[in-house]
Amino acid sequence: MSISVRDALGTFKKPAVISIIGLIGFIIGYVIDVTVFSDASPVQPINFSHRMHVSKNSIPCLHCHVYADKTPSAGVPGVSKCMGCHKVIATEHPEIQKLATYWEKREPIPWIKVHDVPDFVYFTHKRHVLAGLACQECHGPVENMDRVTRVSSLKMPWCVDCHTKKQVENGRDCWTCHK
Amino acid sequence: MNKISRRDFLKFIGAGSIGAGAGLLYGKSTKKTVELLLPQVIPPEDYSPGIATWYNTICQQCGAGCGISVRTREGRAKKIEGNSNHPVNQGRLCAMGQAGLNALYNPDRIKSPLKRTGERGNNSFTEISWDEALTTLGSRLGNLKIQKHGDSVYLLTGGVRGHIDKLFATFMEAMGSDNYFHYDFTHPFALYEANRIIFGEEIIPYYDINNANYVLSFGADYLGTWISPVHYSLAYGHLRQGRGNQRGKCVQIEPRMSLTGANADEWITCLPGTEGLLAMGLAHVIMNDGGYTGSDQNEWMQAVTPYSPSVVSRQTGVEVRDITRLAHEFMKHQPGLAIGGGHTEGNTNAVASLTAINALNYLSGNLGKPGGIIFNPEPAFPNMSIKRQANYTQMLELITAMTNKGVDILLVHNTNPVFNLPPAAKFIEALHGVPLLVSLSSFMDETTALADLVLPTHTYLEAWGDDIPEPGVGFPIASISQPVVKPVYNTQSIGDIILALAHQIGGELPVALPWTQTEDYLKDSWKKIYQERTPVDATAGFDDFWKAALMSGVWGENKTRPLIKFDRLSNNQIQKIHVSQPSFAGDEKDYPFVLLPYLTQTFYDGRGANLPWLQELPDPMTSIVYSSWVELNPKTANRLGISEGDVLEVQSIAGTIRAPAFLYPAIRPDVIAMPIGQGHSHYGRYAQNRGVNPMTILAPEVDDTNGALAWSATRVRITKTEERIRIIKTDGVTRTLGRQILGNNSVHT
Repeated sequence: MSISVRDALGTFKKPAVISIIGLIGFIIGYVIDVTVFSDASPVQPINFSHRMHVSKNSIPCLHCHVYADKTPSAGVPGVSKCMGCHKVIATEHPEIQKLATYWEKREPIPWIKVHDVPDFVYFTHKRHVLAGLACQECHGPVENMDRVTRVSSLKMPWCVDCHTKKQVENGRDCWTCHK
Repeated sequence: MNKISRRDFLKFIGAGSIGAGAGLLYGKSTKKTVELLLPQVIPPEDYSPGIATWYNTICQQCGAGCGISVRTREGRAKKIEGNSNHPVNQGRLCAMGQAGLNALYNPDRIKSPLKRTGERGNNSFTEISWDEALTTLGSRLGNLKIQKHGDSVYLLTGGVRGHIDKLFATFMEAMGSDNYFHYDFTHPFALYEANRIIFGEEIIPYYDINNANYVLSFGADYLGTWISPVHYSLAYGHLRQGRGNQRGKCVQIEPRMSLTGANADEWITCLPGTEGLLAMGLAHVIMNDGGYTGSDQNEWMQAVTPYSPSVVSRQTGVEVRDITRLAHEFMKHQPGLAIGGGHTEGNTNAVASLTAINALNYLSGNLGKPGGIIFNPEPAFPNMSIKRQANYTQMLELITAMTNKGVDILLVHNTNPVFNLPPAAKFIEALHGVPLLVSLSSFMDETTALADLVLPTHTYLEAWGDDIPEPGVGFPIASISQPVVKPVYNTQSIGDIILALAHQIGGELPVALPWTQTEDYLKDSWKKIYQERTPVDATAGFDDFWKAALMSGVWGENKTRPLIKFDRLSNNQIQKIHVSQPSFAGDEKDYPFVLLPYLTQTFYDGRGANLPWLQELPDPMTSIVYSSWVELNPKTANRLGISEGDVLEVQSIAGTIRAPAFLYPAIRPDVIAMPIGQGHSHYGRYAQNRGVNPMTILAPEVDDTNGALAWSATRVRITKTEERIRIIKTDGVTRTLGRQILGNNSVHT
């Protein structure tokens, strides 16, 4: 009669294997979520193309985002600004017709925010623009995007990296951004 | 073993998928919720997102005329503060002023012109265009004018001042009608009349509480609701703590403790309506103890003879030694002020009482000196509103005209007579005789609900206007009201409506009122101030002056009035000073309590009830929110077996209302008090069907002298009903319950 511990081992092995498989599944699931279902490039209510406006028609950023060099927020153009051109340009385009519907109903277009920093961060466009930073340094090559995609993490290490590299005065001071 | 059994395989698959699912969910949970980036449809031209723009304008929640600074962001008003440039409130603001935002963004504002479709009062309206509304009204007005029936057009507004008032007056004059009245329940008719009797002019002087050493207030709740409470609160602070070790004394004489009573050094009650008698008693002591040495001593001595302390003590219920002590204190602590208001205003002898109170100032020599009564100089433009204020008797004349079909069109603006008149006036019934009732209002109040045509107006935060504060501040000032945001709804400013009507009607109206926009009209009117008054800077043109006035929100002149010496009143005047006993509606045996309705710091006369911030603000004396209540003395309650929350039936000869009891120690046992302001049947979701309106049981008693409504002269009886409700209040228990909160030795007297 031989004594075997195999059966006994088996009872330990199986849960271990199951948890390892579960963990791998968890990681795969997470990676799929942040890559495939990423919120870096949300589908907007109107298929607005920056490429079309900036690259093809050479409209500068500040033409629409008029407050970027003046106030903390860059500003999204009012519906009236869009209609300023699109009353006559490409009026037959289905996306422009969506725009016209908003305008007729006098409703704002519910754009989905792509770039957002938490409320406890004091961020101002004005300082960055006036410091001579190109919009693309944070926002990426928006001029080539049909749908805006977030390319920077906008997380604190990313901010501090840049502040360090550019030797920003008080750039690593807590109070600079958290006030 | 190397073979995986089917069962294990399934287990692994299961584990894998659960893990992947959890991973997905975890990934999702770390993401931010979707935030929208909403652009404005048509952004205002002069704004910068994220940066606040402040506009100075005027608060119009009550008649005090405080200056306000409104913080706007992205073209929306966010917060109202006091304008620190403005001499009335000097940067401070009361709760009603703060709640102006609630009026601007109120969801129950009238959003477009309305035409009545069903029976009057059925609340069935259909929306019409501004064109249709103005054409309808304009042609009706025009027809009357052509038929020379312009005098059958009546205009009834709230206490509007400044050039909007003048605009109304010009319009009505050009229409051929002199039927332009103001109706404001809170207007101190008796005070104006008493001032006319003693000082010879119908104006409220500047009560210099700042520098007074003694304030003897007969019911005037100057920290709460009396004519310019924010200014007086500031002055009170100065009187108490602003002058080093010198600290003025405040005595409050009233049947129910108001906020001012609670802040006074001494709170004294006398029988309701006998404040004037008490003032005469004090005058008697002053005269007899040599406190007055003027040349008209003998006449005064004669006038006060019937009011010896022992007689007055019997009439008022105040002890003789208190009367003498108060009189001596008042004489000794000069400069002092005697002021009257609140329930003293609401009795049948109000004018006489306030005249007697004025006499105290005269006798103590407080006129025209710091710490006393300072007379306001001529305002930059005349304040005609006082003359237009219709008191109860004049309102009855209007109502008679309405009943007798003498009123073809009644225009109502910013006043709510259906709510603020006792039902005995029969205003609603008289409306049957009016073919066209037009309401120019921002809200669907009780009067507007009965209208045939509703032209919605801007709130004061959207419209142009101007004002001369009343009471003034001792030197001439005027302030401008400017729009701080674009109109929220499809409304128009009252000025623009009147100007549009003038052009619609034609004839001499567009000649008298050539402007199309209120802003231009105001600018032209202010050119007069610019030309006639001391210019700020002689080299600056009018446009610079206008801009500067808009930016600071107020214009003023460094000019005081030469002190007027009242050496002598005529003998005739002195002889006329006589205070009679008050009379009350209802027999004392059947109706044992005097009902004291009082204005609150939140609803005022009821106009604030539709603002949710004010509804949820606890009453400062009782801490009650959202409702109506009946204040009665715990002794009275004990005797009648009433405890807090018992619903009482309050019955007068004019009607019955029901409200829960609240035991309030600081009230005479022979009176009960109720706040005014609730009990709206219309006026939006926040005001509707909440509490009761004590105005509905007021008997139509009027003042003996000027015929104003004596709103504190109704007797009531109270009956406990079976019903009981829990009063909503923020207070727990009003007693210390032996907890020694104040400590044993910390209270010094």
